[in-house]
Amino acid sequence: MGLKKNNDDLIVQQGPGFVTTSVDKLVNWARTGSMWPVTLGLACCGIEMMHSAASRYDTDRFGVFYRPSPRQSDVMIVAGTLCNKMAPPLRKIYDQMAEPKWVISMGSCANGGGYYHHSYSVVRGCDQIIPVDVYVPGCPPTAEALINGIIELQEKIRSEESIANG
Amino acid sequence: MAKENQIKLINQKLSEYSHSLLSSDHDPLFLVEESDLVNICKILKTDNELDYSILIDICAVDYLTYGQADWVTNEATKTGYSRAVEQKIIADDDDEFPDRFAIFYQLLSISNNSRITLKTFTTKSNPPSVPSINKIWNSANWFEREAFDLMGVHFKGHPDLRRILTDYGFIGHPFRKDFPTNGNLEVTYDEDEEKVVYKPVSITTRPSVPRVIRKDND
Repeated sequence: MGLKKNNDDLIVQQGPGFVTTSVDKLVNWARTGSMWPVTLGLACCGIEMMHSAASRYDTDRFGVFYRPSPRQSDVMIVAGTLCNKMAPPLRKIYDQMAEPKWVISMGSCANGGGYYHHSYSVVRGCDQIIPVDVYVPGCPPTAEALINGIIELQEKIRSEESIANG
Repeated sequence: MAKENQIKLINQKLSEYSHSLLSSDHDPLFLVEESDLVNICKILKTDNELDYSILIDICAVDYLTYGQADWVTNEATKTGYSRAVEQKIIADDDDEFPDRFAIFYQLLSISNNSRITLKTFTTKSNPPSVPSINKIWNSANWFEREAFDLMGVHFKGHPDLRRILTDYGFIGHPFRKDFPTNGNLEVTYDEDEEKVVYKPVSITTRPSVPRVIRKDND
């Protein structure tokens, strides 16, 4: 009885947004704790991505667990050079991912073409094809840098208010 | 087998075909006629003493700008070098540069521990062509497709001469010296059509300027 009364008081004190923002916090906690990336190693950045997932850096600690299917994934890590020929399949994989979904662009080539910016066969940045949330610089970025990008994405997800904003 | 003996043996076996030894500094390099290529390859593979059983690789070379040094240290530091920026368009059946494309075949004989290279110029027609050696070495299949894709050399008699590396519907042969480095098309996602579309390339070609300061550059 007393507990219920206190809760009502809390809601009155905090305003009507208290419930929705608390649910948001819960949802964001769940989302940041289980970001499953689709395995998309396109070039040498893919090797660094594997390093970050292997035992030394162990992204399992963050709940980052690579999936072979876009249907089971929340995050796409574009790791490597995106060629013109790969662009339609990349978009298809992105479209197949379930909402909500985020994209980490890993390395110079995925960020803006990088070394191959003037090439006839390379997309000048994977943001030409899909919307990107986090850009990780480097050629290739170290495993630490990718983990930093994953943490940055977690920070971004924490700042989202999907319930409170309707 | 010593290299000199190997060269002597090859000269003896190929005596009825015109061929010449271009270099023997490393692996022997033989220049052969395009019309004799299939017969010569047959001998090199099937002869018991030669026994070149493995085709390591096929390379195509574009001699369009061969010998034109466009990166001279003194000038390039100030002006940059403009390879593939100023395009030289080659007309069909251009006589100005008849021996433009050459094909190189790298062969290996395991039993003799010997490697040789065959060089042959393509036909002077447009498109340039050489006979396919896919029936002699099966490994030639994808090598020839690659050379066709990137250099536009046709291999007559190839069972499946399709592009192998470049994009579906790609136009042009990117390793030719007159192909623009930026290409002609780029891809982007179209929100309205909800698919990846092609559009003309948006960046312009420019000479790359090496910022090299050297002692010999005043």
